[in-house]
Amino acid sequence: MLKVIAARVVLGLLTLLAVSALIFAATEILPGDVASAVLGQGATPETLATFRAELGLDRPAYIRYFEWLFSALQGDLGVALTNKRDILTSIAPRFENTMFLAGYAALIAVPLSVGLGILAAINEGKWIDRVANVLSLAAISFPEFFIAYVLILVFAVKLGWFPSLSTVFDDMTLSQRFHVTALPAVTLTMLVAAHMLRMTRSSVLSIMSQPYIEMAFLKGLKRSRVVFVHALPNAAAPIITVIALNLAYLIVGVVVIEVVFVYPGVGQFMVDGVTKRDLPVVQACGLVFAAAFVILNTFADVMSILVNPRLRKPR
Amino acid sequence: MTQWEQLQEAAKTGRVNRREFMRYAAALGITTSLASGLMVKAGYADEPKKGGTLRIGMEGGSASDSLDPRTYADSVMIASSLCIMNCLVEFDSAGNPVGELFESWEAKPGAVEWVFKVRQGVKFSNGKTLDAEDCIYSIQIHRGETKSPAKGILEQIKEIKATSASEVTITLSSGNADFPVILGDYHLVVVPKDFSDWQKPIGTGAYTLESFEPGVRLVFKNRGDYWKPGRGNFDMVEIRNIQDQAARTAALQSGEVDAVNRLDARTVDLLKQDSNLSIVRTKGTGNRYCFVSRVTQKPFDNKDLRLALKYGIDRQGIIDSVYSGYAVPGNDHTLDALNPFYNTRMPQRAYDPDKAAFHFKKAGLGDTKIELQTSEGAWNTAVDCASLFQESLKKANITLDVNKVSADGYWDNVWLKAPFCAVYWGRRLSADQTFTQVYGSASDWNDSDWRIPAFDKLVEEARVELDQAKRTELYFQCQEMIAEEGGMVCFAITDYLDGYSTKVMGAEPHARYDLNDNRIAEKGWFA
Repeated sequence: MLKVIAARVVLGLLTLLAVSALIFAATEILPGDVASAVLGQGATPETLATFRAELGLDRPAYIRYFEWLFSALQGDLGVALTNKRDILTSIAPRFENTMFLAGYAALIAVPLSVGLGILAAINEGKWIDRVANVLSLAAISFPEFFIAYVLILVFAVKLGWFPSLSTVFDDMTLSQRFHVTALPAVTLTMLVAAHMLRMTRSSVLSIMSQPYIEMAFLKGLKRSRVVFVHALPNAAAPIITVIALNLAYLIVGVVVIEVVFVYPGVGQFMVDGVTKRDLPVVQACGLVFAAAFVILNTFADVMSILVNPRLRKPR
Repeated sequence: MTQWEQLQEAAKTGRVNRREFMRYAAALGITTSLASGLMVKAGYADEPKKGGTLRIGMEGGSASDSLDPRTYADSVMIASSLCIMNCLVEFDSAGNPVGELFESWEAKPGAVEWVFKVRQGVKFSNGKTLDAEDCIYSIQIHRGETKSPAKGILEQIKEIKATSASEVTITLSSGNADFPVILGDYHLVVVPKDFSDWQKPIGTGAYTLESFEPGVRLVFKNRGDYWKPGRGNFDMVEIRNIQDQAARTAALQSGEVDAVNRLDARTVDLLKQDSNLSIVRTKGTGNRYCFVSRVTQKPFDNKDLRLALKYGIDRQGIIDSVYSGYAVPGNDHTLDALNPFYNTRMPQRAYDPDKAAFHFKKAGLGDTKIELQTSEGAWNTAVDCASLFQESLKKANITLDVNKVSADGYWDNVWLKAPFCAVYWGRRLSADQTFTQVYGSASDWNDSDWRIPAFDKLVEEARVELDQAKRTELYFQCQEMIAEEGGMVCFAITDYLDGYSTKVMGAEPHARYDLNDNRIAEKGWFA
């Protein structure tokens, strides 16, 4: 079993390496370069050439790739071309913020959607199943910025219960942080809950049509016991995968939420980097996002193997 | 209520400022001395009050911001730098240059040699007293081997030297009557000689930097004893980056910030109904929106086609539907009406499909395709404007192909290359700078590629002309030439729309930038 897990981890690392090459290539083919983007309308050919040479943009791409990769491996993500700040120190607090918000949202969303999913499966076809379905579908059908603005309008502007600006600062206590980021966390919950809820419900239900479940019913067990003890462990693998996928989404896919709630996460940092063609910043963000994605997926795979005896021994 | 009572009520709630109050009072026939006496009663103390934390929510910053003046390009950094530092020259609300760290100046005849007096008794936040060397250093960092955007405007300097500890003499390569205006450029903020730690700048401003998270927030603390009387009144100033317009508006409405810039013209009328907010509108000094053709490329080398395009655009229609009326029509050049040299005798070009059709026919192009490239990357509503342009040309039987291109890399790949594309221009410091940069033969940014020696000669003549009337005449001719022959359809100049909480005083419109020339932290106070 250890061998299987090790194989997964190695595979994850290889994926990350491939992604790093892709990120580098993608930033290379962006139209325009950092020199012209930073200087904007103020650029003259002469200042452009000076700036390009200063940044080392005149050297071949593959040399810059390996230089970048090796320093990244040593934890040195370089210096932002635009404001000369160390990228690692700029990105670290923002990554913490992103993780905080993602964690907060997951804390609400995962128990809620898995719980409701199981509840819906137990009560298949009854009113609670329908209500959960309709509400969760309605929530993902609205675009995220719409939900965000409605929440801001109601809870920040009209009622004044929560601030509309969710920016967190170093000097805030934990409870203050939970308070100011409540609205974005709820918005994110509404975005990811439906997916997890429906996956939980359908994977539990699909197990429920298996002969051994029928056997369990025939033994005279209660429906809830059949669901929790017999069906759920076997339905866990797809649920874990979909949770991991949604957690990854919470980390990498929340730029719009960050903009609307003025939340200083990595997404906004990356968008600023792209508009200013600050390649080291874009690459660093890309790498962080890719790492988060790969780690979560590897983790999901490993967990699925652990909970499912059949996967523990590959044929 | 009588009008006078209404006015007093408006003054109490902060809907009119001191200047407006005086003006309206005069219009109602109330004498100045009576009005200023009543003004105090109506809630206006003459003296600004000290204290409080001003929280400003601004668009125009990013995670890549830096306090190095050679990188400033947008509002957040301009406003922030002005908290910590001072410029050499500032502008009064009508846009005329007045002394800041250069207290006064004098031009030798011909406007080639300029003598600037350095303000005395001004101290940096590290205790050093300002002298001529500091001013010179702060100019020199933008010259030579640098990527400073101010490099271009300073190229005219031939020699710069301290003629005493309190006097700087600058010799130009050729005369420029507007040179003090050039020195008012926002990049030219003053730091002590040889200073280079841009993470924590030292300046002569009212505040010192407390913390700086690029793209998130800047916090400033009053350092006390500011050299400008009545200014620098807040204890603390906090500038928050709020890039999203709706988020900025919501933050102002919910009282999380006291001031915001760049309100949405489409919703500003709704905000006006909120009695806790006041909206400050500066008419027609914002971005100049243009469709620019390159006159050296076919078919735009045809002057009649260019005229057809200028007559065929429904300026007011675009302003009303896209900007809810919060813009003024452009007159096919980029000078705005608040510039002292704005041509007032030239009639505003209006939408005239018949004239457009006439010129189009005269151009004899048959069914040559006319393509306009536009993009959200030019400015956020450029695509809407282009579609309306297309519609209004239809009435003149002119078919315009609107091609929406990628926002990404727009300024690299389309601007200065496409034969006809959407472009916005910002306000330039002076008429001279406008004409030299936008239309001068030597300019790299002459996006219409309209290079006319006779025009350059007019501009050069005006540059050294110290007689205001003669100078005005020359600039009038320049504007007439551009509007008649140039390749630019400049159809709208937007208003600046600031939002304030009514407790913020000193929030006046300014001819240069919004948020009272981005100096609300310095000029304002709490009621």
